[in-house]
Amino acid sequence: MVRYQQGDPAAVTALVSTLSPQLHRFFTSQFVSRRFADDLLQETWLKIHEVRHTYRAGEPVLPWIYAIARHTRVDHYRRTRRLEDREQQVEHLPERAAAAAPESRGVDLEAALRQLPESQRDVIVMLKVADMSLEEVARATSSTVGSVKQKAHRAYEKLRGLL
Amino acid sequence: MTPSPIDPVLLERIEGKLRADLRPVRPRPAAGVLVAMLIAIAGLVAVWGARTLGFYGWHKLAPGTAAAILVPLAIAIAILAIASVNAMIPGARRIAHPAVLLGAACVVMVGVFATVFDDHRTDGFVRQGWPCLRGGLIWAAPAGLAIGLMLRRGFAVDRRAAGIAIGGLAGLAGLTMLELHCPNFRLAHIAAWHTAVVPIAALVGCISGWKRTWSINAETGSSE
Repeated sequence: MVRYQQGDPAAVTALVSTLSPQLHRFFTSQFVSRRFADDLLQETWLKIHEVRHTYRAGEPVLPWIYAIARHTRVDHYRRTRRLEDREQQVEHLPERAAAAAPESRGVDLEAALRQLPESQRDVIVMLKVADMSLEEVARATSSTVGSVKQKAHRAYEKLRGLL
Repeated sequence: MTPSPIDPVLLERIEGKLRADLRPVRPRPAAGVLVAMLIAIAGLVAVWGARTLGFYGWHKLAPGTAAAILVPLAIAIAILAIASVNAMIPGARRIAHPAVLLGAACVVMVGVFATVFDDHRTDGFVRQGWPCLRGGLIWAAPAGLAIGLMLRRGFAVDRRAAGIAIGGLAGLAGLTMLELHCPNFRLAHIAAWHTAVVPIAALVGCISGWKRTWSINAETGSSE
């Protein structure tokens, strides 16, 4: 991150290739389409680039990155909702493609995750997919460690019931 | 969870965009330095305002009463300064939501006023109160602007919360100015009109944050 702030092109490649898979998974876990996840990933990196001076050496990187990623997603959601509000409704909807039959345990987990409120889903994805600590998740979500623990506990309870 | 491999073309495009403008940047100052600067701004604006309008309240206050009021005010200013700085740094540790901190600060200050002032008269409540509210807000404005200027290089992930913290801190500067300036020691006057400067300034900050979010989204939405 420090080399990136100093303008090292190799640091850009290292950061983008290391963190993009995690961030992409974070966006797809919110059940946005793949195209939206790609857009969000690109938008997040541009935002990170714009505000890279706000990072200070020695501080944890992941909470800083995920806080920006969450912010980008929320802004994106607000914009999309505003656009949807302006759209006109059609009388006949096109036929839906048949839902793919669940083939693995992974698909069951995704369906269960879909049942969780957004804030609990964020916490679970950061803890279990991005492998962040409670403190890091608290920083990324602008909340306290106690609140993160509570959300994780409620999410586990709900997931246990669903799976 | 199903893995989601990323299109290498997308990664190349992102890298290309970042490399196109890869000038070195100066990292922000340490959070402690920013907090100290915000405390100094709030203190300076309060003293400057009281000096301009006259230190009538300060001269009339007993030393013990002055300490009982100004020490909790200084603590509240320090806490709100930390909250303001943290609100402008992505991924910074948050003690509590700025609105909660501000609410607690107002309750504590009203409690302090109720303890140290025992004049319960309420005649001329609005006539005497309105100039104080106006004066407090007028002096909160330069504090808010200076704080905003100081934190302009930051990035608020929650602009409304940042607006509440910055507005509330500016309001506390206005309240401090009123305590140094106003010689009216009636409890109702101080608890209502002086303290009201803080939530009103915070509300202005919150609306500014909300408006900024709205205008940014509208700008980006219309370009899509």
